[in-house]
Amino acid sequence: MGKFVQLVVDGLSTGSVYAALALAIVLVHQATGLINFAQGGMAVLSAYVAWWLTNQGLPLIVAILLAIVFSVVFGALVERWLMRRFERGDPDTAVVVTIGLLTLITGFAGWLWTYNNQQFPSLFPLDTVSFLGVSVSVRSLGTTAVIVVAMLLLQGLFVGTKLGLALRAVAINPQSAAFSGLPVGRLLMVGWGLAAALGAVAAALVAPQLTLTPGMLDNALVYALAAVILGGLTSPIGVVVAAWIIGILENLAAVYVPFIGFDLKVAVPFILIFVVLIVRPQGLFGRKTVVRV
Amino acid sequence: MNRHLRSRRALGIAVASALAVTVAGCGNRDDAGRSGDAAEGAPSPGITDDSVTLGITTPLSGATAGPGTCTVAGITAYFGMKNAEGGIEFGDGQTRTVEIEALDDTYDPQQAAANYDQLKDDVFAMTAGLGTPTNRAWRDAAIADEVPQVLIMTGDPLFSDTEESPWQLGFVPIYQNEGEAFGELLASSSGEHRVAILSQNDDFGAGYVEGFKSAIEGADNIEIVDELTYEATDTSVDAQITELANSDADVFFNAMSVTPLVISSLQKAQQLGWTPNWFLPSNTSSPTAILEPGGAAAFPGIYSVSFAKAPQSPAFAEDEDVQTYLSALPQYGNYPDPPAFPHCQWSWMVGATLEQAFTEMQEPTRDSFMEALRGIEGFEAPLMLPDTSVTTTEDGQPAVSTVVVQKYNGRGYDTVETFE
Amino acid sequence: MASSPKTSASTTSAPASSATTSSASSFRQRPWVRWGAPLLLVVGLAVLPLVMTEGANDTLARIGVFAVAVLGLNVVMGYTGQVSLGQIFFLGLGAYVTAYGVQSGWNIVLVFVLTCLIPAVAGLLVALAAARLGGLAIAMVTIALPIVGVPLAKRLSDFTGGSQGLSARFVEAPEGSGLYDDQWQLYLVLVIGGIVFLMTSLLVRGKYGRAFAIVKGNENVASSMGISPYRYKVLAFTIASLIGGVSGFLYMVVVQYTSPETMSFGHSIELLVAMVIGGAGSIVGSLLGGAFYVIVPDVTNAIDPSLTALLQGALLLAVLFVLPGGLVSLPRALTRRLRRSPAGRGSAAPPTTPSSTPGSGTAAEQSETERQGHA
Repeated sequence: MGKFVQLVVDGLSTGSVYAALALAIVLVHQATGLINFAQGGMAVLSAYVAWWLTNQGLPLIVAILLAIVFSVVFGALVERWLMRRFERGDPDTAVVVTIGLLTLITGFAGWLWTYNNQQFPSLFPLDTVSFLGVSVSVRSLGTTAVIVVAMLLLQGLFVGTKLGLALRAVAINPQSAAFSGLPVGRLLMVGWGLAAALGAVAAALVAPQLTLTPGMLDNALVYALAAVILGGLTSPIGVVVAAWIIGILENLAAVYVPFIGFDLKVAVPFILIFVVLIVRPQGLFGRKTVVRV
Repeated sequence: MNRHLRSRRALGIAVASALAVTVAGCGNRDDAGRSGDAAEGAPSPGITDDSVTLGITTPLSGATAGPGTCTVAGITAYFGMKNAEGGIEFGDGQTRTVEIEALDDTYDPQQAAANYDQLKDDVFAMTAGLGTPTNRAWRDAAIADEVPQVLIMTGDPLFSDTEESPWQLGFVPIYQNEGEAFGELLASSSGEHRVAILSQNDDFGAGYVEGFKSAIEGADNIEIVDELTYEATDTSVDAQITELANSDADVFFNAMSVTPLVISSLQKAQQLGWTPNWFLPSNTSSPTAILEPGGAAAFPGIYSVSFAKAPQSPAFAEDEDVQTYLSALPQYGNYPDPPAFPHCQWSWMVGATLEQAFTEMQEPTRDSFMEALRGIEGFEAPLMLPDTSVTTTEDGQPAVSTVVVQKYNGRGYDTVETFE
Repeated sequence: MASSPKTSASTTSAPASSATTSSASSFRQRPWVRWGAPLLLVVGLAVLPLVMTEGANDTLARIGVFAVAVLGLNVVMGYTGQVSLGQIFFLGLGAYVTAYGVQSGWNIVLVFVLTCLIPAVAGLLVALAAARLGGLAIAMVTIALPIVGVPLAKRLSDFTGGSQGLSARFVEAPEGSGLYDDQWQLYLVLVIGGIVFLMTSLLVRGKYGRAFAIVKGNENVASSMGISPYRYKVLAFTIASLIGGVSGFLYMVVVQYTSPETMSFGHSIELLVAMVIGGAGSIVGSLLGGAFYVIVPDVTNAIDPSLTALLQGALLLAVLFVLPGGLVSLPRALTRRLRRSPAGRGSAAPPTTPSSTPGSGTAAEQSETERQGHA
């Protein structure tokens, strides 16, 4: 029993890593209707900026805050000078542009900071809390807490604020949004900037655990995408819950389902997606969309 | 296949030799026809009277770029230093400088084969490249073309089987050797031990485990209580550590080649209050890059195997080899940071081993080079630990086949004879 | 969306000729050009392997391998509009079937047939399930193929050789042909690849191609026209898998080695990139995509091997920034620019014949609304 609970707790903390990236992907999708493969790459770049700043002697929290500011600007600039050209075109092309951006950023980071593993200092102490025979690191607890806060803020942004409403309006139909007087271009830049900031937070949270490398989030990206689809593209809460479910089920399946084992546990999220989407095409928490003819 | 031939000779001869090459792929019976074409002693491609060019295909971007970059940096630094001293005197009396041409294969076998195709006519020999699939992808082609593929960074035993791989030779110990060395140490200990195993799900992990198991076979003081695997692409192995900690083993055999996962494993085990004696492979046991951030001091013993001096270890701070190496790496190897992977040291030693072969080869041909390379015995390359050496005369073994077991002492490693 | 059937008609009739301009199309109608040009092409391709260097032959053969893989992806994605991130899995499966068959000493024709059949059946089974999902969900289910495929290949090590992979050298030039191996390999790629390209271009121009285009344009419209989106999606996916299997056979012809790394997820993404860079929904674009896939790593290696990722990313962005429709739209972009500058006409100048509109151009406009549907 102790093992079972420990596996669940482990799954939650791994799931939080996926959730962090997934939230940023959802934000960009909500704001621009696009899946951004470069989200992880941009987040890693922010983490490198923070890491570089700490090496210059700045306190960690200041470095992270500055990196977040950098990310907002960088995200907005990427939207304005790169993505803008592709937003009205074929969505496949736009997605491939984000893949190109990911390659470029990864290569840039590798060139400037090498492909070696860098130690990123942790915001939280490396202590362990134990209760009922289950131990969990303060770092995982902290990461999870920050993600829950970010999730609630995002949910609030989309549901309860004018900005969130405007962002969604632009994503769903840029033309009508423009007709109704919304500054479409500026809103898109805001969406990208916010998502980049969220990515920066995510990277700063998970970098101590994964160690900083240019490809740090590449493997997490697939899980994050799975969480995004499973949770429903429109729901920050759904996405985080989905990421946790994926993290937990993966662990349990690996240990308790001999046929799956640790090598094929990666199949779990996809089986889950398939089963859930057959029943609920909009994802666990997603809203149904109406397709116009 | 030789491009120079095709442009120069009559079609008939070319076709005949092409057929010969083709058939030579299956065996040596038609080999004579082809070597007859390349007249006795005529220089092979990639070598002139004053220089020789070596080719490398290795990952320089992507997930394995860290160690991949090291495989180029070490050897480039070594020969850069030698070139600055005026070059190397070869066995045929000529003094040559050594040039390195390295290409990025991103750990993609297809790209590695393409890189080989591109390099094979310009380089004298291929060397130092990292990776099992990326080296296997063009092994057959290298045999057919009679291009040396030597002192490469894979512990796959196939490359050290002279029968199967006449133009190949691995450099680093085969994975089995490393696992075996630790297994023998453990089996010879007086106490009873329960062992948990976590290995990478590929030939790397399987090789370690195979060697370890063969060494403890029949030792009734050792019991393997749990055995799990992980994928090199996993972001976390927390679940595996949790399950293994549950087995309450006192020895943990951890055949893992992914740096971040080793660090997080060390941390996770501490969180769970599981502090076994821990074995790590030679490529993921760096004191500064892995053990310190992982908080390894919490464990009673971290064991690893090695044949190279760890440059950051205080024990070797005054060592002449280490100092030369550490100053050459940024100066000639385009590697400004302290080496984060042992592959930098290894490829430096590859350079020294190649130099050894160069000084012995009588003719500027690939045949003569292979002969010289296969005749090295007990060569103590720079940075080698006492009791280890480069020996290429033993069939079935790579250039380095002896390793010593070491124990982490909080800052560096000490060689140990017994398991306490 | 009412224009959907019309645009799709031009889409399907266009691909092969997308490199031409309206002024050239009357030239193209002359009989000696219509028959002479393909003949010239065939003769050219027949002579090429004999006169080129070994390195060039190798490169061209590899381009052929990945052009076929991209072509398969185009069938399901470029023409039918279903995002597939799993194409590399079928290449890998085909390569494994070939390697296993050759190692077991089976007849090479049988091996080839199996290399077509097994991936096609696998693709059919996946599609029967996945085609029930739409949009991004199908992307996630297909992404799973390479991601699960890699550990699966390791687990089935009796068939796959585990992580050490399988080698198979089976394409030595036949004795008496007087050919070098590289020439023989290139001929095999040209003939097999050529047949696949020809059959695919016939397929997408014919009634199936029109149905694909309508499904891509709007599934509801398709249903109302009596075209079952589900069945055509399954069909397109199965064909794509079959073509992927053939590219796996060619992979073994050229590379002669396969391992789990062959089908790693990153390569699937690279195939998607190659398809878009070449030009989605275009036969010529598939060729250009294959060329991009193969040549760019070689070029960036030649510039600076330690900067390959940086250079590849920059190059990709540069190409799409200038040519959002992919490389295949280059001639159109050029002629538009040329025409505009001397005459000083407005930028609107639409192409005069429908056949000169590349598929990718119309596809781009069309899928705008589709994207909103999924959002």
